[in-house]
Amino acid sequence: MGMIIAIISGKGGVGKTTATANIGLGIALNNRRCVVVDFDIGQRNLDMILGLENRVVYDMIQVMDNEASLRQALIKSKVSDNLYFLAASQTKDKSALESSKIKQLIENLSNEFEYVILDAPAGIESGYEHTIEFADSAIVVVNPEVSSIRDSDRAIGILDSKSQKVKDGFDVDKYLIINRIIPEMVESGEMLSSDDILEILNIKLLGKVAEDKSVIDASNQGIPIILNSKSIAGSAYQRIADRLCGDNVPIEEPKIQNRGFVGKLKGMFS
Amino acid sequence: MIFPWNKKKESANIARDRLRIAIMTDKTDENLPFLADLKKDIIEVVKKYTEVRDIDIKKESDGEFEALSIDVHLG
Repeated sequence: MGMIIAIISGKGGVGKTTATANIGLGIALNNRRCVVVDFDIGQRNLDMILGLENRVVYDMIQVMDNEASLRQALIKSKVSDNLYFLAASQTKDKSALESSKIKQLIENLSNEFEYVILDAPAGIESGYEHTIEFADSAIVVVNPEVSSIRDSDRAIGILDSKSQKVKDGFDVDKYLIINRIIPEMVESGEMLSSDDILEILNIKLLGKVAEDKSVIDASNQGIPIILNSKSIAGSAYQRIADRLCGDNVPIEEPKIQNRGFVGKLKGMFS
Repeated sequence: MIFPWNKKKESANIARDRLRIAIMTDKTDENLPFLADLKKDIIEVVKKYTEVRDIDIKKESDGEFEALSIDVHLG
């Protein structure tokens, strides 16, 4: 049975789908069979980030309703034979999700894949609850910013009360990714530090990803940033994926890039 | 070392303090789903004796102690 991981955030626009795509690909690049599933019914986006939007024929709702087989609906990644993708329905709405059918789908996926990664919709409504219902663990993506952190705390609260694993008396493992860190602002006290965020949310840290303009460039092209191993965000996601595969990779603190001469001087005296 | 160019805005500290309070309040609201019913019942009881305008119930915590503070506004 594979591990079922929900990627959640509460607030939208924090980089959840980017995280899903890159973690999935990073795991696949570690030679593990991995499937990423877009649970954002009506707002399909994972296909764009993965560059697979032209290959979608069947979606997960059609699989759940037995209108298509899993084999027909699974789309293989262009860059790794170990990564598959299952698209969200773009035409149906969230009410199309039913617990019993989701359970069956996830069971079928976890029989075939070592890692089943579910990209949750933003918000904490029914679509979100259905995504976390059968997850073994959750990765919480936050930005160092008040609304993202508060919303993620709400999402964690719902995870801790509504997931099947919790109802069965077990804990759901929760891991935090702090995304879009601007090291200069943390240093000058204008942005919450990772320690502050960890203290407030009180869950395990999985990784820190600095703000990186090349993420936009990567999503423009549909080439996940992890394939650009020289990029800051890409290498951060590879380390996160390696940790999820069991490697003991130390957490790196995002560094201030290309500080000019004056900046370097200031750094010496601060 | 203190130099004029090191003058920091430090709004991160403000963010941290505001978040702590906001999240604590969010959790209190979550933990007391019976609050609306309790409020209704208290109003019923007080009404037997005097006029009530409104009732305010708050959960307060001070370290390990938690208390419900109930304010009855008489009408």
